[in-house]
Amino acid sequence: MIRTLIPRSASRSATRPLSCSSTLQPTGFCLYTSRNRGYATEASEHDLIIIGGGVAGYVAAIKAGQEGMKVACIEKRGALGGTCLNVGCIPSKSLLNNSHMYHQILHDTKKRGIDVGDVKLNLKQMMAAKNTSVDGLTKGVEFLFKKNKVEYIKGAGAFSGEHEVTVNLIDGGEQTLRGKNIFVATGSEATPFPGLTIDEKKVVTSTGAIALESVPKKMVVIGGGIIGLEMGSVWSRLGSEVTVVEFLGQIGGPGMDAEISKTTKKILEKQGMKFKLGTKVLKGDSSGDGVKLEVEAAKGGKAETLDADVVLVAIGRRPYTAGLGLENIGLDVDNKGRLIIDEQYRTKLPHIRVIGDCTFGPMLAHKAEEEGVAAVEFVKKGYGHVNYNAIPSVMYTHPEVAWVGQNEAELKEQGVKYKVGSFPFSANSRAKTNLETEGMVKFVADAETDRILGIHIVGPNAGEMIAEGVLAIEYGASSEDVGRTSHAHPTLAEAFKEAAMATYGKAIHY
Amino acid sequence: MPAMSPTMTEGNIASWKVKEGDLFSTGDVLLEIETDKAQMEVEAQDDGKMAKIMQEAGSKGVKVGTRIAVLAGTDDNLSTLTLPAEESVPSPSPQDDLQAGIDDSKSSRSKAKAPSSSKNENSPSVNTSKPPVPSTSSGKVQKQGYPLYPSITQLLHENGVSSAEAEKIPASGPKGRLLKGDVLGYLGRISSTYSSEQSARITKLGHLDLSNVEPAPPKAMAPSQPSKAQARKVPESESEPTNTEIAIPISLSSVISVQNRIQATLGITLPLSTFIARATELANNDLPRSAATGPSADDLFNQILGLNSVSTRTSRGNYLPQVSALPETPSMERADLRRQPDVYEMLTGPSSVSTRVLEVPRPGITDGSKTGDLSNVFSVSAAKGDEKRARSFLERVKTILQVEPGKLVLLSEQVDR
Ligand SMILES: Cc1cc2nc3c(=O)[nH]c(=O)nc-3n(C[C@H](O)[C@H](O)[C@H](O)COP(=O)(O)OP(=O)(O)OC[C@H]3O[C@@H](n4cnc5c(N)ncnc54)[C@H](O)[C@@H]3O)c2cc1C
Repeated sequence: MIRTLIPRSASRSATRPLSCSSTLQPTGFCLYTSRNRGYATEASEHDLIIIGGGVAGYVAAIKAGQEGMKVACIEKRGALGGTCLNVGCIPSKSLLNNSHMYHQILHDTKKRGIDVGDVKLNLKQMMAAKNTSVDGLTKGVEFLFKKNKVEYIKGAGAFSGEHEVTVNLIDGGEQTLRGKNIFVATGSEATPFPGLTIDEKKVVTSTGAIALESVPKKMVVIGGGIIGLEMGSVWSRLGSEVTVVEFLGQIGGPGMDAEISKTTKKILEKQGMKFKLGTKVLKGDSSGDGVKLEVEAAKGGKAETLDADVVLVAIGRRPYTAGLGLENIGLDVDNKGRLIIDEQYRTKLPHIRVIGDCTFGPMLAHKAEEEGVAAVEFVKKGYGHVNYNAIPSVMYTHPEVAWVGQNEAELKEQGVKYKVGSFPFSANSRAKTNLETEGMVKFVADAETDRILGIHIVGPNAGEMIAEGVLAIEYGASSEDVGRTSHAHPTLAEAFKEAAMATYGKAIHY
Repeated sequence: MPAMSPTMTEGNIASWKVKEGDLFSTGDVLLEIETDKAQMEVEAQDDGKMAKIMQEAGSKGVKVGTRIAVLAGTDDNLSTLTLPAEESVPSPSPQDDLQAGIDDSKSSRSKAKAPSSSKNENSPSVNTSKPPVPSTSSGKVQKQGYPLYPSITQLLHENGVSSAEAEKIPASGPKGRLLKGDVLGYLGRISSTYSSEQSARITKLGHLDLSNVEPAPPKAMAPSQPSKAQARKVPESESEPTNTEIAIPISLSSVISVQNRIQATLGITLPLSTFIARATELANNDLPRSAATGPSADDLFNQILGLNSVSTRTSRGNYLPQVSALPETPSMERADLRRQPDVYEMLTGPSSVSTRVLEVPRPGITDGSKTGDLSNVFSVSAAKGDEKRARSFLERVKTILQVEPGKLVLLSEQVDR
């Protein structure tokens, strides 16, 4: 078949430089090289340079690529995805999932009528499974870069001018980029504990805790926040004797609702974890075989020594801006090391914006992601938005804990009158069927308007269930709006609906 | 006259985009209004029909709130319709606009239950405007462009409030959504300002708290090492898009002999251009994949996984060769045909510009009849990375034209019948 032939691109510029080096082309080909000049200076300038290929940075890069911007993303780790994909969310969730299965087979399947023979832990394989997930996802991001024409530059970037970033390339050498806009998305690092040297073997941060080579007999976790409880859970399930030392009077950090926190603590204690709340670590000594920690009650009291094979330091994370050359262009950080920005993520040099963990707001991957998109939209469209009141928090222990909006303590502090409705999973048909009845759903709504102010869940699948709560808050829904919406039967989500009903009226099944 | 901004008090009707009796649907532009500041389009917020236009195009200084037209429901019969009486005075708080009417739940009857508290907010404000903020609250009266929340539907029914009336309730929710609290306030169950105050508080929670930011105390300035001194210029050539011209001499003698044979046997002259066009067509099939169109998603992924092997894929090209006759004899002419290097090139360009031996083809095809030289130069321009593709194309054109031009005739007969 022959299609009609029409000259498609017959135009031939008359001024094209011709250079025919027939001597070099024994095959008889001539090469004429034409260059589009005048393009050259712009070509070396990017519309957007992003320092850091973590969630904030890579999402912004892809978004910018989709918006047709000439964008480069600089990452020094050798893999994209940042903390989250390489040493954070993803590896920790892999270990949580698989250690849970192991634990369940050991302790839970018998009563369900499944007798399993000899159950053995193959930690090496569990770590390999984790690495497979991590690799797949980081390469997936690299793929998305290619697909969206994002230039991926492997190396450490530092400001060498207000519009200029010099990259110390991983493969050696240096490259300088100029950008109309520059985003800083350099993330965060674990806050070290004064007096304890991190060796990632005996004294570890989360990064060491996702890569231990054997199950420690005794583990002490300093800090009962989300990361500490997740990693503590993993090793507790795999056989460690885990003790969590927390300075505050509750676990889960200040965002977790106190009632939910108490319920969660009880559940985790049943699983074998030990807690020392209101306790501070005075000092530690890792010179011997294991680690010795001296602790005492926060309000003063008797001191005590804890022995551990491994100590996990999980007292929080702090912004990471080392080596970024902030001083070269006079950018400021606050007293917690966060880069100072305005509502549009701009630093005092307005073409430089900051997103993700290295600036204000909760240190969460999905928050970083929202900011990545919003910041690009500010550049491209002059407007972007992140609703910081509708950002969920999830702790992936078993059962999971999830929340969005405000908790009771925060509302009390603000003097807001509220009402509470809750529903236990023990009254939910699906939870009963699954023999997973621990936990509850709790709504906090305004006493006058019934508008949902916060939703707090501990229970099976809480992390997925919270999505509905985020949507409700995003839309300004009342508990009645949720209570009047049909939820499939039998599902765990019915507990969500019934908790809503209990808030403005009465639950049916409780 | 709808208030298009909080400060607008009057406006001119620039033009009507619908005529009386016309049907329109949500989002259609009904009319254009101009004020001293701007010209704006008024869009329909609902499907409907234009029942009557009261203020023709060109009307000037129409006060906000004055009725300018009456809209009816899509199914209303205009001939049997009675238009509702106009609200007495345009109230100082501009709220009214096109007054809807007709579907009688929609205006006149619906007044009964409105609480007396907020008279201005109750006058039938329908559609098409974004009325300004009432002084008492930040809630705006806004036609709800999506289904009402279930709690609200319930409250409205329980209290006999029509949905038309519900549209007059100031909505304080995100993006102007009507919330249960707004309705409770409207019904007088709770303070009428509570809901909007709450919304203001929650909106604030939606923003990063950047108050009380305490800058870190300035550090002792370390001498900055990676300073501008180290900044290097990116070599330009790296990023410059480069097109390569690829050329190949092809003899047309076989083609011409085929042409002559056809002429002799069939009495038809097939022009050379036809042969070339058909050869081009054939040669463009199944070329090695272009680098410019980019690899497929699978290819990209394989690349990352290090499975580079399977890129044997081909695709159709769209090359169109430029054909030019080779120069008859080397002569001074050639130098003239060469493009003079410009200043830029003299400064930066490769020195080869002046030393290169050029065989510059003359434009046009030669059949060699005058010179006996049947060679023509076929050339295409290839984007960076596509040189191989372009070369394969030219090689094929060459094979077809020199070795099997007869095929082109057969093909042409098949195709042209
Ligand atoms: C154990 C653990 C579990 C977590 N689990 C969750 C979870 O379940 N859910 C959740 O939402 N969040 C979780 N987080 C938090 C989450 O990982 C972070 O919020 C998220 O990674 C922040 O993204 P970011 O892009 O701001 O920073 P990062 O992910 O830290 O990325 C910053 C990147 O910038 C690079 N970089 C820094 N400086 C330079 C430079 N000068 N030049 C080039 N590159 C540079 C770094 O190498 C890094 O890769 C977890 C964190 C940890 C530690």
